[in-house]
Amino acid sequence: MNATNKLIVTFLWTILWASLALHSPLAAQTRGADIAVVVNADTPVTDLSLSEVRKVLLGERQYWSSKLPVVLLIRAPAARERDVVLRVIYQMSEAQFKQYWVAKIFRAEAATPPRIVYSNDMQYELLTALPGSIAFIDSRNIHSGVKVLRVDGHLPGEKDYPLR
Amino acid sequence: MRRRVPVLAMMFFAISPAWAQSPPPPDQTEQIRILLERVQQLEKRVTELETKPAAGAGVTVQAANVAAVAKPEMAEAPPPPPAPGLGHQHEMAEPQAAPGQMEVHYPSLQIRGFGDVDFSATDQKGSTSGFNLGQLDLHLASALSRKVTYFGEITFNAQPASVYTVDVERSIIRYDYNDFFKLSFGRYHTPIGYWNTAFHHGAWLQTTISRPDFVKFGGTFIPVHFLGFLAEGNIPSGGAGLSYNVGVGNGRGSAISRPGDAGDNNNNRAWVANLYSRPARLYGLQMGVSVYRDKITLPGTPPNGNNFREWISAAHIVWTKETPEFLAEFANVNHRNILTNFVTNSQAFYAQVGYRLPWLERTLKPYYRFEHTHVPLSEQVFTNQDLVQSIVGMRYDITNYAAFKGEYRYFKRLPTDPWVNGAFFQTDFTF
Repeated sequence: MNATNKLIVTFLWTILWASLALHSPLAAQTRGADIAVVVNADTPVTDLSLSEVRKVLLGERQYWSSKLPVVLLIRAPAARERDVVLRVIYQMSEAQFKQYWVAKIFRAEAATPPRIVYSNDMQYELLTALPGSIAFIDSRNIHSGVKVLRVDGHLPGEKDYPLR
Repeated sequence: MRRRVPVLAMMFFAISPAWAQSPPPPDQTEQIRILLERVQQLEKRVTELETKPAAGAGVTVQAANVAAVAKPEMAEAPPPPPAPGLGHQHEMAEPQAAPGQMEVHYPSLQIRGFGDVDFSATDQKGSTSGFNLGQLDLHLASALSRKVTYFGEITFNAQPASVYTVDVERSIIRYDYNDFFKLSFGRYHTPIGYWNTAFHHGAWLQTTISRPDFVKFGGTFIPVHFLGFLAEGNIPSGGAGLSYNVGVGNGRGSAISRPGDAGDNNNNRAWVANLYSRPARLYGLQMGVSVYRDKITLPGTPPNGNNFREWISAAHIVWTKETPEFLAEFANVNHRNILTNFVTNSQAFYAQVGYRLPWLERTLKPYYRFEHTHVPLSEQVFTNQDLVQSIVGMRYDITNYAAFKGEYRYFKRLPTDPWVNGAFFQTDFTF
């Protein structure tokens, strides 16, 4: 084996091990947990399909019941919860999301955009205080006192849960 | 050794596609995310410390791990009984942020403005090139209560005589009963087709510089505005995602480009119905049909003026995502002279395709639109509006709230007219 071959073999082994390490279950865990769909405990809903969650987030469904309006809470930019919501549910970039809500209000289809929350504590305070509120929380940070919804029949942590 | 190199190379290439799907290496966003996670950990720690004194009183406020969340009984756990003083302690932890957010004030007026500046040059005989100030548009939205909302739109328009006109474009008060029934009164953009209710007056909202010719403001092909009442909402239809608009109003006024804002000019009300679907499985798709019925009274010789029955039928199909974006609409306008029963039909359609390019932070969006309008020579209600036009353009989003657009247009009006080439530029924005 000449020096060049040794170099190539060393390089390929390094790449191989690095790739395996990056794709190990441990690495997957460090990329982040599932994002739970959480509502105020009094909200009369326990299970939504992903398309129903999308309708709520798009402002196409604005009422849980005729007496209970939906109050959308969404984390500020750079939070992982927001990234997952934009990527999986809205399927929009940050710019498209902002433009979507400007247009939505301009079309007289909604009076206010989602409320921006800056921390999980603030999110919990609003969730417990505002009837009809819905938020998206890293499932590792779930507190009691709120209701976690099934999405497409699955809870966070289950195999086919879609919000991750 | 010669065998090991190909084997390792194959393993490398087998893994590389999966590797390509991995998140990008840490950058500034990643650092912010790490910091936010650190903030969350600290917040959790603060919460734990705050709850410690009350732990003896039976309060259980703790983080649930993923496995615990997966248990249904945990997922729907009722809120813990309030401990004396705990709520107060929690409020004290973040006094600035949460209480302000919880209060809802009525009315809560929001104002947003739209504006544009344009330049045009064509080789049409008699035309002049130059700049013009587009519309300055103010949009008002105000929740009057949990279920009552006001929306308004006012435009300031430059006129050739160096004066400005102010127009109330929309003024709507709406009562929401639920998602299936919302009732409103006022002046609307008539819910015929897609464009007229999707983009309104702010040019920044639309991909192109201008609206399609048959829905242009000040045009007569369809009644762009409507004064009356409108019921709208979703229809329980599962995955079909059906919604409706049904309205009754004054219809066209004596100037048929405008509704009868100050009162109808006959005793017949116009009505409009619009049904559209946004299928759940095809997020981004919308398709729909609309009908509009009116009696038009034009100033004229018969005892009560020239009267016509108007039937407008329209259909649209759109794909609202930007990779690609596709919009297509068709409308037929049927006029029948009530005295002579003479009937005319005029048609118009457009098809527009755009694509948000993946480069340069997705700021570029090339587009193409073809539009065609045909009005027969025997048409008695409006003048000839024939048009065949192709538009090729590029939208560049300077920021999230401002864009620059450039277009080349190739069009002709009447069959005997020459083809015209034109270059059009616009910068539009919202503020």
